[in-house]
Amino acid sequence: MNRRHVKTAVMLGSLVTLALSSAATGQSTIKIWTSDVVADRQRLMKLNGASWADAQAKLKAGNAEAVAVNAETMALIATQIVGLFPEGSLTDKSKAKPEIWQKWPEFEAAVKNYAMQADKLRDAARSKDLAATEAVAKEFGRQACGSCHTPFRVPPPQQQAPAPPQQLQPR
Amino acid sequence: MEFRTVRAGIVLGSLVALVVAGCATGQKSTMGTGDPVADRQRLMKNVGANWADIQNKVKAGNPEGVAVNAEAIGLHAQRIPGLFPEGSLTDKSKAKPDIWQKWPEFTAAAKNLENRAGTLRDQAVAKDAAAVTTTVATFGRDACGTCHTPFRVPPPQQPAAPRS
Repeated sequence: MNRRHVKTAVMLGSLVTLALSSAATGQSTIKIWTSDVVADRQRLMKLNGASWADAQAKLKAGNAEAVAVNAETMALIATQIVGLFPEGSLTDKSKAKPEIWQKWPEFEAAVKNYAMQADKLRDAARSKDLAATEAVAKEFGRQACGSCHTPFRVPPPQQQAPAPPQQLQPR
Repeated sequence: MEFRTVRAGIVLGSLVALVVAGCATGQKSTMGTGDPVADRQRLMKNVGANWADIQNKVKAGNPEGVAVNAEAIGLHAQRIPGLFPEGSLTDKSKAKPDIWQKWPEFTAAAKNLENRAGTLRDQAVAKDAAAVTTTVATFGRDACGTCHTPFRVPPPQQPAAPRS
């Protein structure tokens, strides 16, 4: 009888605390995205592509320093990617490969690598060294985008996968 | 005696549940460094850098080129409220305590930034140079200022914005 009371009390305490703590986190977890995670991540990745295109246009114009803002934007975006690929979010509108969820640690590592490459590009741009920035940019399409897109994204129909590193024109 | 045992049981259960809940939520927040002040300062610096890039492009006669920066500001704006958890006011932060006293107004100000950045993006995508120039002319006051004036300690070299 006594034991049963204690057990009930433990469970009751747990439930109340869980309810309270989830209410508290519900309050502080601010909703960022819409209910359509595929649309959300496509919007995010489009900004990624546009930032990369902007960086390339600036490099062509010889303005290395101005690339820093785009590279930092990409580095900040990178922190959002993994959270936008929950299990079971593969729809017919998505170009994601099921390999993402089969090889999740490799997917996470590819995103991490992308963030590090973006950091590298940003730091080179901040040093105002055009040659150094161009050197990072030259490899960026293959090493940053490609290392995730090649294994984990269905290639667009008009474009061969993997894209050779020379193909760095803005789309 | 039995009461005490029951009470101890409730406390024990609560502690276990807290640890479990803490682990579960802790796992979710792998996006930041764990230092919300550093995280939001980094984010806001990139908002500022994108804003500077917008102004440079408009000056250089490339108003269409600001779409990418406006979209970056709009997406960053969505993350702002989440980077201001209660109690995250340190001596390194320029945030005013008014943020947490007037939380709905603070989130509305962040939403206002998101909306105005969206307007600017749409104008740039539509290649409407005149509209972009007009929006940019008042963006500092209408988008940045509506949050910075009430909710941020002004930088020392710059007098506080005269208008309310």
